[in-house]
Parts: sequence; structure tokens; C-alpha cells
Amino acid sequence: MRVEKFNPDKDYGTPARLSETLVSVQIDGIEITVPEGTSVMRAAALADINIPKLCATDSLDAFGSCRLCAVQIEGHRGYPASCTTTVYNGMKVTTQNEKLGKLRRNVMELYISDHPLDCLTCPANGNCELQDMAGDVGLREVRYGYNGEHHLDSKKDESNPYFSFDPSKCIVCSRCVRACEETQGTFALTIDGRGFDSKVSAGQNQDFMDSECVSCGACVQACPTATLMEKSIIDMGQPEHSVVTTCAYCGVGCSFKAEMKGDKVVRMLPYKGGDANHGHSCVKGRFAFGYATHKDRIKSPMIRNAINEPWQEVSWDEAYKFAAEKLKAIQARYGRDSVGGITSSRCTNEEAYLVQKLVRTAFGNNNTDTCARVCHSPTGYGLKVTMGESAGTQNFDSVMKSDVIMVIGANPTDAHPVFGSMMRRRLREGAQLIVADPRHIDLLKTPHLKKAQHLALKPGTNVALINAIAHVVVTEGLEDKAFVEKRCDRESYNAWREFIQQDRHSPENVEAVTGVPAGAVREAAVTYARAENGSIYYGLGVTEHSQGSTMVMGIANLAMATGNIGREGVGVNPLRGQNNVQGSCDMGSFPHELSGYQHVSNAEARTHFEKVWGVTIDDEPGLRIPNMFDSAIAGTFKALYVQGEDIAQSDPGTQHVEMALRSLDCLIVQDLFLNETAKFAHVLLPGSSFLEKNGTFTNAERRINRVRKVMPAVAGKEDWEITMDLSNALGYPMHYNHPSEIMDEIASLTPTFSGVNYQRLDELGSIQWPCNEDNPVGMPTMHVEDFPIGKGRFSVTEYVATDERTNSRFPLLLTTGRILSQYNVGAQTRRTDNQVWHDEDRLDLHPHDAEVRGIKEDDWVGISSRAGQTVLRARITDKVLPGVVYTTFHHPGSGANVITTDSSDWATNCPEYKVTAVQVERVSQPSEWQRNFKSFEELQLKLLQGDEHKTHA
Amino acid sequence: MSHKQLDTLIRMINQIAANNGAYPHDEAAERVASHLQRFWARSMKTMIIEYRLSEGDELSPIAKEAVAILAQAAVSKQQGADSAVQA
Repeated sequence: MRVEKFNPDKDYGTPARLSETLVSVQIDGIEITVPEGTSVMRAAALADINIPKLCATDSLDAFGSCRLCAVQIEGHRGYPASCTTTVYNGMKVTTQNEKLGKLRRNVMELYISDHPLDCLTCPANGNCELQDMAGDVGLREVRYGYNGEHHLDSKKDESNPYFSFDPSKCIVCSRCVRACEETQGTFALTIDGRGFDSKVSAGQNQDFMDSECVSCGACVQACPTATLMEKSIIDMGQPEHSVVTTCAYCGVGCSFKAEMKGDKVVRMLPYKGGDANHGHSCVKGRFAFGYATHKDRIKSPMIRNAINEPWQEVSWDEAYKFAAEKLKAIQARYGRDSVGGITSSRCTNEEAYLVQKLVRTAFGNNNTDTCARVCHSPTGYGLKVTMGESAGTQNFDSVMKSDVIMVIGANPTDAHPVFGSMMRRRLREGAQLIVADPRHIDLLKTPHLKKAQHLALKPGTNVALINAIAHVVVTEGLEDKAFVEKRCDRESYNAWREFIQQDRHSPENVEAVTGVPAGAVREAAVTYARAENGSIYYGLGVTEHSQGSTMVMGIANLAMATGNIGREGVGVNPLRGQNNVQGSCDMGSFPHELSGYQHVSNAEARTHFEKVWGVTIDDEPGLRIPNMFDSAIAGTFKALYVQGEDIAQSDPGTQHVEMALRSLDCLIVQDLFLNETAKFAHVLLPGSSFLEKNGTFTNAERRINRVRKVMPAVAGKEDWEITMDLSNALGYPMHYNHPSEIMDEIASLTPTFSGVNYQRLDELGSIQWPCNEDNPVGMPTMHVEDFPIGKGRFSVTEYVATDERTNSRFPLLLTTGRILSQYNVGAQTRRTDNQVWHDEDRLDLHPHDAEVRGIKEDDWVGISSRAGQTVLRARITDKVLPGVVYTTFHHPGSGANVITTDSSDWATNCPEYKVTAVQVERVSQPSEWQRNFKSFEELQLKLLQGDEHKTHA
Repeated sequence: MSHKQLDTLIRMINQIAANNGAYPHDEAAERVASHLQRFWARSMKTMIIEYRLSEGDELSPIAKEAVAILAQAAVSKQQGADSAVQA
């Protein structure tokens, strides 16, 4: 029999081996053909012969310590471990006989002699590999008694909020230690001691919380006993069913099994069949799901006429009627273009599609935008211009074939942790790392990293740096001339080449601008260009600049010039921030394009939509979010429908945003919570979390993954239903019975999605678009033969320094970012135990900058920019360069965006969050904005819940 | 129209012009005009064209030229629309 089928719910004991050479073996008399390098254990498992095991699991390399998987091999002496023994042609294996049975019983007997016999009250009861193996081998007695030396009194470590560590149940199989090393790449766990004293230890014999553990959960998942156990399982017991769905945190888009007890989520278990995460997870997706049932959830629709009035709970129909009447009255008075909508990158594709459809049909304009405006809009622009498609070129697995990995303005181990772990694995295997970032990111501290370079550039000088790298490539003859000749547009290439080889772009000449030594730039350029496979990964440190789009084009230029496009291991890879940033952009959320990036001026595309939608679509772009704010303040834009975004916290220049929101006559917010934006709203429509809805998300690798409903919507409706109802109330009919019908409509109107439907998604698990007649199962690697625009186009990337510069008044540069445990504006993670890791945003500053200002650790410091002032506590660290300060924006009261300015990317208006000139000084009280924020928050909570809250009669 | 809005638009177009400044003047102006055509809302285009017609002093040379191209395109589009109505 030839066995290749993969069942993600089965543990094959050891990892799959990829080899084109096949080997035939006989196991218990059954002929099996498997790839060369496969273990005996895996080969047997593929034939449904399940050899007992404890230390082996197919997510980890074979270890061979438990001896339970011993087998007999014809012609071999002894009893080799089947996990560490690889197959060869003609091998004959016996997995069960009397001798093997006795040996396994003896092994089990020893394990059980130092294990509590509390199976009936153990949280792993029914899901314990030790228990299963005792049953498998037929253990009936333990001859050694329990009076000897043992570990049964070992103290539990309960320090982690999500899981406990009970060493009394530990069999020292090392699976947790190996998971921390191989799967996560943190190396926080070790086996301490020798022989009988061996024990699992976090860090230097510390509590888990005090160690370097990042709570990814890999150790818990790998543990075959109840030693490492989720506290939710301890509290609630084992799940009774599960549903495969997709995480709603970052752009990695991990697949999870939501393990359920009735309609309660007991555990989120990373799904081995997930093509983005292959069974791994991070602290957010794995554990931080409690926000879905948090007491702060809004459970019924509410309305009010003014933001200083109490909210009135109303029925859904009353809320729709109230909103529709207001919107119609506003359009009647101020014109059709006086209203707009914002789609969410946290909601599903189907929901984003419906919001922009509502704007273009029921509102009758193109005033639709999405939060990608403030993160990856330059990616859409830059990659479309150069390579013809607004998306990354690879799948995540591609990194495992990279020889040189360049990471620019991204912090994968914090912001895209599961992919960060995969990247670390490749780095441990020997790939070289080049990091271009003002901060010393954790990736540079990867254990067993072979070779790394850190180009610690000054914030705002990305384009100067990428030009210098490209200059070296061109002037030193490191281009891939064959690729350029065959695949790229000659005219644009010649113009770019003439530009880039000018001496003013040389590393020596831009050293004073970037702060990066010329020699380091030259070395990085040569390393990348000479790599067999060189890949570039980038994040918001590229896009959130006044030259975000130019930098994206610069990256594309470099990749094309060196031929690093069109195969595995290479490419240009934007690491998307939120779970569905790629999807919300794909779905026509931007004011200038319909789904599939079809420009509204394209008459043929427009006609197609007009026929299906039955309306005339404006052929001019609508307003972008910042334009909406400006128009609101100017009095021409009066109503906004915001789905699942918190623009009052996330967008730059908070005072400006607040002024715009206060200027609106009608703000409709659809969200899980009374977020910062909702405090300025007139209509609050309670949305649903990812656990409460059906749909799809598209991750950073263009992978469309199914989101499946596992519990009823807390407020009764999925978000797509709310948009549909609102549209109907406005007089534009929408009738869908299920999101699959919305996807069918998307597929009919979007050439890159024409082959996508729910049935195919269920069959394939996930699909990387484009998926159409030419690519029926999707496309993992783009631009293999050609670009959607035919030839790749080089762009001239002149470095234009940002207007946001330091001076004597504002001598430091502030850059912002995110950390592992919190997510974006924190609306979800702040309502979970993730708070224990990060309960406040702090200002990181270099010891030198702290010293000259007399600032000590934990001091309150005022941060002033030309936009405003806020106050945070100081953290002194050399992770930032002198002259650079850094903070996160996860807590609304921090007011990080009070100080960010209106400076933005020239092409897309993506805000320049990464560069704000500031001064920092010791202070003794919160800023004026923070005091106002606090009193406004207290008022709004009172209006929501307090004595002033009234139910509509 | 508010002064603040206009100021923002002037800053935006000058920034777009600066980022296309490496191209020869005419090509740069064409690129800027094309960018506005594809990404700016009608009301923004109208506002910047009116400003160019009334004074336009704060526009960089490339931006000024680009708005002239944009204005011409708007006239052509309107004429096309009028002809279509008459036909």
C-alpha cells in the first residue's frame, strides 16, 4: 500500500519527511511505501499501525527517550526505538509480540510508580496519553509500590494566568522543552538535574511568569500528561466537540480548533491542518479569547440624539429606523456625499464587502475606507505599481527555503509571533538575517542564530537606505541581468538604473542621513544580492512613513533587480497587522476601487457591478478617512458608519479626530464594546466576535481561511446581518441567507476570487488567491512566469526627507509599535488576562537621553510634539538608539496618538506613526488631554450604565 | 471650503510633487495629475483647481502644472458628459 494521506487529527509520532525517493518497508506483514527518511513509527502510523509512544509527537523531532516505542527489526539485534529509526527498502518490522509487550509494560510500570494515581479527578482524564498508553500496553500492576523516593509532593507552579505546571505529574519526556525550542524557538525551558532528579525547569529554575516563557502554549499542547494544563480545562473539564476556525488576531491567520462544551469555548487548540500555522499558536490566539464573553460586551442596540445624552436601549428595528432616518435627512440636507462608511479589518471578507457595497449603493457614493488606510495602504499602492498586484508574493512556508532573510521595519516575534517562530527555525538552520530597524528587535536575539546584521537606521530614512543598498547592487554588478531582461519593463528599468547609480545614493554619501555605517550597508547589499534565495519581510516600519509607498516600491525594485521574485524562498512579503487587512483591501474597501482592486474609473468593471447591484456607481474616488475627518470639521461631511474600528484611539492626531467625530450629526458604531469611537456615537449596534459568526478571513499570504460560528451571537446578530438590515432600512434591498451567498457574489464580480466558494474552501482547507479558472486551487507563489501587468516596472524612488524633523524644541524622534501580549488598540486583549504582561503603555528611552534629562526608571514623563502632549512612565533601555524614543498604543488613556501628527504617506495618506519629533521631560501629573479623557470616559460610562441610563419606553 | 482643508490639500499635492520630483518636469506633472485623478475625491479636485485658478501661489511648480492638467481633464470629461446627454 502507498500511503500519503494526511489526517491533521492524528499524531504520526514524528514529522513528515519530504523526499522524492520512496522506500518500501514491511510492518507487521503490511507493505508500506513512504518517503526516504521517514521513521518506522511514522510509516507504521500511516498504515494505521499505532506503536505506543510517550516522548514522540509529530510536531517535534524524534527524541528516543521513553523506550515505549521499541520494535523488532529483522536482522537487527535488540529493540530499537521506532521513532529514531528510519526506514530502508526491504526492512521488516514487528511492532507487537510478547517480548515487546513485556518490555513496554516494564517501562510503563516505572513511569506509573512515580505518578499520582488520581486519574478520576485528574483534569487530563479522558485526554491523557500516559493513561492511554497504560491501557495500550495492558499495565495491571506496579510492583515497586509508592513508598520509595518520588516526586509526588512537588509544588505546583500556578504563576501563569492560563496554565498550571504540576511537576508531580511530569514524566520528563522533554516534549515541553523540545516544543519550546523547536516549535516556538524561545528556549525558555530546560531539563534541570540528572537521573532521578531530572525535572523540567522554566528559565533558571524560576516560575513560568518570571522566566522567558512567552506563553505560546506549545509546551502545554505537547505535554502528554496533566503536568502542563490549561486552567480552563481544570475549571471546566474536557471539551465534548470542536470546530475548526481562524484566529481573529494578527495577519498570520492561525487555524484553531475551538474546543467546546455546549456553546462555551473550553480551549483554543492550534490546528495542525492549518496551512498558515501548522499547529502552532501565540499567547493571544491560544489563550486570549475571554473577551468574547466579557461583561463589557454590548448586548442590545442603543440610540441617542446627542453624545451628552444617556443611551436608550431599543429593538434592532428601532435602531435601524433611527439610523436610516438620520442618514436620509442628512443626505437630503447636505447632499449625497455627506455620509460615508469604514469597513473593518477585524471583520470577515463578507462583512467588509457588504459595508462598502452599502456605501456604494444605499449611500450612493464612494466614501468608503478601511483601517488599512493607517497601516498597509502603501503596500497596496507600491506593489500594484511595481508588480501589478496589491499583495505579498509568497506563502509563509517559503521562508524555510530562504538563505538570506531581510526584515525591514517589522518585529515578527511580537507582532506576528507564529510566523516569527517559523522564521527563527529557518535562522537556526543557518539562514542569514539582515534587520533594518531603529530598534534592536528580539529576532536579533534568536538562540543559535548563525549570522546577523543590524542596520540601525534613524527613523524616517528607509528610502535613503534602500536606495543605498540598490546602489551597491547596481554599481557592483550584482543584478540578476537575465531576470531583468526577461521579466521587467526595459524603459522603467533604464530610468531607475540611471537614477540609482548616481553617486549621491552611495552608502558613503547617505551615511550621515541614515546613521548606518557605509560598510554595513555594502555588506548587507552583497549578502542579499548574492543569496541563492533572498527574501524581504516588512511591516509598518516601512509603510507608516511619509514615504511609505516609495519604500514599498524601493523594496520591489531591489527584489526584481536581484531576481528574487517568482519562486520559493524569495519575494516581497508584507506582514499585515490585523487578521483581515489583506481581505478588507481585497473587498473594495478603499474609496477608489471595487473588490479585486478594480478602479472605479474602469467603465467595464463598474458596469459589471452596476448590473449586479442595480445602481449607478460614481466613477470618481470617494473620501479617505483623513479627508472624511477634514470634511467633517469643515461641515460638509455629517454622518459616518463605522464597523469594528476604533478610529478615536487608533488614528493619529487624537484631538483632530475627536473634533471630527464631535462634528458629525450621526455616528453609527458597530462594535463589541463601547470603544473610544463609540463614546462619540449616536447609534451603537452590538457586533459579534469571530466566534459568533461565519465567514472568511484572508491573511498576509493571501490565504482565505474559513471562520466558523461556534457559539450564538451575544447580541443576536452576526455583523453581516446588521449591515444587511441597515441597508434594507435605507431602502436598498439586500437578501442573503448565509455569508456563503455573499462570497458567491464576490466571486462573480472579482476576477481573482472567481474560483472561491465555501465548498471549495471546505475541501481544500484554505485557498491563496488568485483562485480562478487558471488557478483552481489558488497560487502559493506569485509572479512565477509573469506579472499581472506583464513586465515588472521599476519606480524611481527619490528620498524626500519627512517634514517631521527634530529641532531644539523637539529633539527626539518618537516611534510607535506593538508588543506580543496586546493587540492593536487593546479592545480585546485588555479584556483578558493578557493584561498581566502589559497593563500600561510606557515610554522607552535610551539611558543617555534619560540621564541628560534626569529621568529614572518608572518616572512619569511628559512627551510633547507639535500635535499635543501626553504622560507615560519611563522605561530606560538600550533597545532604542540614542535620540529615539518608543511607545505602544494599546491603552486609550495613554494618548499615544495625541502626540502623533498629521504627517502622512504622500501617495496614500497612511499616517507617519513611526516618526514624530518630541521632547521628553519629567512631570508630576497627567496631561490636560489625559485629564479630559478621564472625565469624558467617566461621563460616557455613566451614560451607558449609570443612573442616567434609561430604557426606551 | 475651509482654509484648513485647503491648506491640507496644498500640502498634500506639494508632497506628491516632491516625491515625483526626480522625473523630468513635464513627466512629473503628468504623474502628479494622474495620481490626483485616480485617488482624490471629486470635491478635493474641485477645491485644488479653484485654488489654482484664484491664486495658486503656494503650489510648487510641478503641482501647479499638474493642477492645470487636472483642470483640463475635468473640462474634457464634462464636455464628454454633455455630448453624451445631447446625443
